[in-house]
Amino acid sequence: MARYTATAPLDLDWFESWARKVNDDKVLRVIGRFFDARFVIGIDDRDYLVVVREGRIKKVSEGLVTNDMGWQFALRAPAQSWSRFVQPVPPPMYNDIWAMAHPLHGKLKIEGDTKPFWQNLRALFWMLDIMRQA
Amino acid sequence: MAKFDPIVGRYVYVQHDGATYRTYFEENGQGIPLVCLHTAGTDGREWRHQLCDPDITKNFRVIAFDMPRHGKSIPPGDFYKEEEEYKLTSKFYSEFIMAFCRALELKKPVIMGSSMGGNICLPLALNFEDELAALIAVEACDHSPGWWIDPLHHPQIHGGEVCATSVFGLMAPQSPEEYRWETWWYYAQGGPGIFKGDLYFYSVDHDFRDLCRKISGRVPIYFITGIYDFACTPEMTQATADKVKGSECIIMQGIGHFPMSESPEVYKEYLMPVLRKIVQADRETNRPDDREHERPSGSGRAARDDGYARDRYARDERRGSASTSNEQGGVRVVEFDSSGGRTRR
Repeated sequence: MARYTATAPLDLDWFESWARKVNDDKVLRVIGRFFDARFVIGIDDRDYLVVVREGRIKKVSEGLVTNDMGWQFALRAPAQSWSRFVQPVPPPMYNDIWAMAHPLHGKLKIEGDTKPFWQNLRALFWMLDIMRQA
Repeated sequence: MAKFDPIVGRYVYVQHDGATYRTYFEENGQGIPLVCLHTAGTDGREWRHQLCDPDITKNFRVIAFDMPRHGKSIPPGDFYKEEEEYKLTSKFYSEFIMAFCRALELKKPVIMGSSMGGNICLPLALNFEDELAALIAVEACDHSPGWWIDPLHHPQIHGGEVCATSVFGLMAPQSPEEYRWETWWYYAQGGPGIFKGDLYFYSVDHDFRDLCRKISGRVPIYFITGIYDFACTPEMTQATADKVKGSECIIMQGIGHFPMSESPEVYKEYLMPVLRKIVQADRETNRPDDREHERPSGSGRAARDDGYARDRYARDERRGSASTSNEQGGVRVVEFDSSGGRTRR
């Protein structure tokens, strides 16, 4: 259960494990039916590009390159914030992206075009919640 | 034999500032009037557990009403041609609460409100202390910025889903899934722009950072906040309570911003001692004869052992393809195809 601790290695293998669970999730087929997005999860200075089509993760890449042709929005936070977020029972102020991003707290930054972030909030939050099983 | 909730709902016509508001409310119980205020963008259904709890209703006439534009209380007839977006103000909100209490001829009610309903307890304490017996300000503080934001009312964003999901993380992971999603549902049902408009009061118009100190303290105020509340943190509540005379600050563990609806059993543990103090204070003053209430039988914890609450709140704590990894220009990539195949490059 090492990955449930605050020192879980949030690397590409971990993202792959998460993406598999996301793609097996039957609720996301319903609530994410129109969820198409290219977003970045930033952990310290490492960026992971997540490509979503119809609520399923099509691609995760570590690092950003020219051929990505950009992304829509980014969720960037220190590894310490993400490690708390992904715990099965996350602590107060770290249990939610908006909680971490709220101006009162500033534990996470939402960057880029935030409209698709808000448009897909329900499916996105469900998808990120699955990180707690990854 | 049909099973019924003991809650009864009615409409009352509330006069305020030259207008008449057909206002929906639900009630149950007898005794001290306990008027419950819903949170932003929702309605009185949030209080259904307290409305049904005999440990509460044996001493209190519990009343939960829907503010205009919320729940079953329709907006003003000309809302469709308003030239400014809806914004709840501290003045209208506090005056309407008192107008509702007068319409029902409530004598010295206790007000219990959560979130914006908690924040409004401060103006009520400052401006209407002679008409109130006590205030229970749940998830309340003197200033709660950061919530009056456009994504909550935007034609390209589903208002119901975004309002509901934006508050979901205000609830504690320990709270029952069933009740968290019920709260989400109430939020998803708000009228267009109403949640955002309420948050104008919550985050902009409500600023009691200085006015707090002017509250006389003659009306007891109980602040109760859950540790998962990221909009009004325990520290923010404590800092407010430190400035308010006659107040008490209670911090709840393992619960968030919607205690009455997200985790009614946990909330009850913290609420009952407060209600007992209010009953005791009520007995020590000369209450009208029509308020008969029995002495509470034992402690709150003992009251819970009758099994009623446990049964009533019985809950189900359920909860609960292939990929490609490759390198592109020094970048490691995992790709997933539609057939479930996996490649790693």
